[in-house]
Amino acid sequence: MASPVPPPALPTVPEPGRGTPALRDPAHRVSPRARVMWLLGATVEGLFLLAVLLVVVLVWGVSAWWLALLAAVVLAWVAVVPQWRYAVHRWEATETAVYTQTGWWARERRIAPMSRVQTVDYAEGPVARLFGLASVTVTTASAAGALSIDGLDKHVARRLVDDLTRQADAVEGDAT
Amino acid sequence: MSDVPPAPPSPATHETQVHEVEWQRLDPRMLLVHPIREVVRFLPVLIGLAVAGTASGGAPWQLLGVAVPVALGIGRYLTTRFRVADGRVELRRGLLSRRVSSTPIDRVRTVDLTSSLVQRVLGLTTLRIGTGQQQSDGEGLDLDGLPHDRARALRGDLLRASAVADAPGHPEGPAPGVPGVPTAGGPWTAPPPVPPLVTFDPAWLRFAPFTGTGLVVALAVLGGGAQLLDAFDVWQRLDRDDVPAASTVGLVVGGVVVLLVVLALSVVGFLVANGGFRLSREHGSWHVARGLLTTRETSIDEERLAGVALGEPLALRVAGGRHLQAIVTGIDRNQMGAATLVPPSPADVAPRVAARLLGDPAPVEAPLVGHGRRAATRRWVRALVPAAVVAAVLVAVAAAGGPWWLLVPAALVLLAAAALAADRVRGLGHALVAGHLVARSGSLNRSRQMLDVGHVIGFTLRSTWFQRRAGLTTLVATTAGGSGAVGVLDVPTEEAVRVADEAIPGLVSQFLAHP
Repeated sequence: MASPVPPPALPTVPEPGRGTPALRDPAHRVSPRARVMWLLGATVEGLFLLAVLLVVVLVWGVSAWWLALLAAVVLAWVAVVPQWRYAVHRWEATETAVYTQTGWWARERRIAPMSRVQTVDYAEGPVARLFGLASVTVTTASAAGALSIDGLDKHVARRLVDDLTRQADAVEGDAT
Repeated sequence: MSDVPPAPPSPATHETQVHEVEWQRLDPRMLLVHPIREVVRFLPVLIGLAVAGTASGGAPWQLLGVAVPVALGIGRYLTTRFRVADGRVELRRGLLSRRVSSTPIDRVRTVDLTSSLVQRVLGLTTLRIGTGQQQSDGEGLDLDGLPHDRARALRGDLLRASAVADAPGHPEGPAPGVPGVPTAGGPWTAPPPVPPLVTFDPAWLRFAPFTGTGLVVALAVLGGGAQLLDAFDVWQRLDRDDVPAASTVGLVVGGVVVLLVVLALSVVGFLVANGGFRLSREHGSWHVARGLLTTRETSIDEERLAGVALGEPLALRVAGGRHLQAIVTGIDRNQMGAATLVPPSPADVAPRVAARLLGDPAPVEAPLVGHGRRAATRRWVRALVPAAVVAAVLVAVAAAGGPWWLLVPAALVLLAAAALAADRVRGLGHALVAGHLVARSGSLNRSRQMLDVGHVIGFTLRSTWFQRRAGLTTLVATTAGGSGAVGVLDVPTEEAVRVADEAIPGLVSQFLAHP
């Protein structure tokens, strides 16, 4: 546990950023077709929700104004969330690290050094297949450390998996 | 623990001292332990059979009820074998569906010796090997039932073999020629006893009522007792007329009695779990022994200790206590208290031990950097908004003709939320000091986590839309040990990036945009 780092001076309260470098977005967007896939998913979810609402209105006789209000919310959801998701989803792989950005309301940026990559998984879900998309998951030894990126073009994903596997293999150690 | 066919031995383990090459059975005394365990496991069925047996007057059924568990136990003993060969520990189990668990010795992270009461009477120990692989099936590599001396010797062999494989030329590698007793495992010799770092002090029992485990034990016993009474129809037989009408004095006395019983039970639970606690260091490993009835010794390879977490939950803090947990690979997270390094103890003990374990007092003592006004605002909003909703509902009910005293809980909820928020603000902080990422947060369950940056295997920066608007980020350092992550809550984004960049130089810097 002893560290080679010499004991530094006591830390000071951080100054708010003035010209301090900020973490940029990863370089690559996912496939534009991912937008359509997410739109389809959101639409199906929205229709299901509306059907449930309709049943509620018909059976319990709740005011139709509620239905209209909730329908507007669902519509906004379908219109906004897939676009938002697409704007956030990005990825980048360098010689030494993998960097992903996912989510929409809650944005999650994950960085893992190549030397800690344990497995690289490639998956085509049934819906993703319709759009020629695939997802890549990079796991590390941490239970909380998997990097996953959905909506990649499947050729891009294949190439990424090959690159990552080659680079991770080139690094010594058991990645813990 | 990968269930894979044995791979070729890794070259690193050739010089290790482990020589138990032949497939061998566990200790035959397990023939006594297994049937007892099976009988205990089948106890509900057995009781049912006994009741049915007395009702029908037949003896054969009852005999079968005893014979089946005994046969299962004997079968388990006969079909289990293990060996240590080619740099791997292998365990073969099962008659019909045979499974072989195999793990390379250089992947051994922790070794755990557990003896139940029955095993202790017979001088036996269960040896469990932790490798830090994500165990999905929950089947660790357990050598269930070795003689105590042999288990200790094997533990020593495994840990030093693992340490040698990890660090060739390690100063604490096998040093033949140390005087001592030769063991079954090979030429490795027992060292002179090392004085422990810290041992159990009966004065620690005063912290028992302030810990979660003590209360859980107390409630479990009370619940079990109530169920037992239920099973014997005590409640039904209790005649309502026999019970005197509840007077105020009676209620108070009853409450005090229940309180005393809960207190006593929590103390007993604490004693059973932590009695005989002892933390010592041998051959580059930390050994934690605890347990009054079932004894448990966990050995953590020093190189694998990613960090420690100094627990300071509110109740314990009020009582002047602290506890210490290990952030380490290879501990079975499903087992309660497996990562405990120091049980609840006076406030100076755990920090002192933490400083020894980390090899540097700086991460434990260094003042932390606060997260600023925006993070504080967030703590207040997050505590007060739900409380305000509850209070508003209570006030509305009171205003709509409800009882006036509803205003009291409404005020209390708001006060409690404010106190919680203030304490959470005070606790929030982080530092990067002496090669350790230190993060503290929480109130009811506050802990100060200290993670060696050498064990950080990635960063996650998470921010919701609200956090982004406030310029805050939750920085999570992932690690193979513990829960897999150490989080720095709501830190200003620039500071999060700076800390991540400084912790692992060269990782984050390539993704920075310079203004």
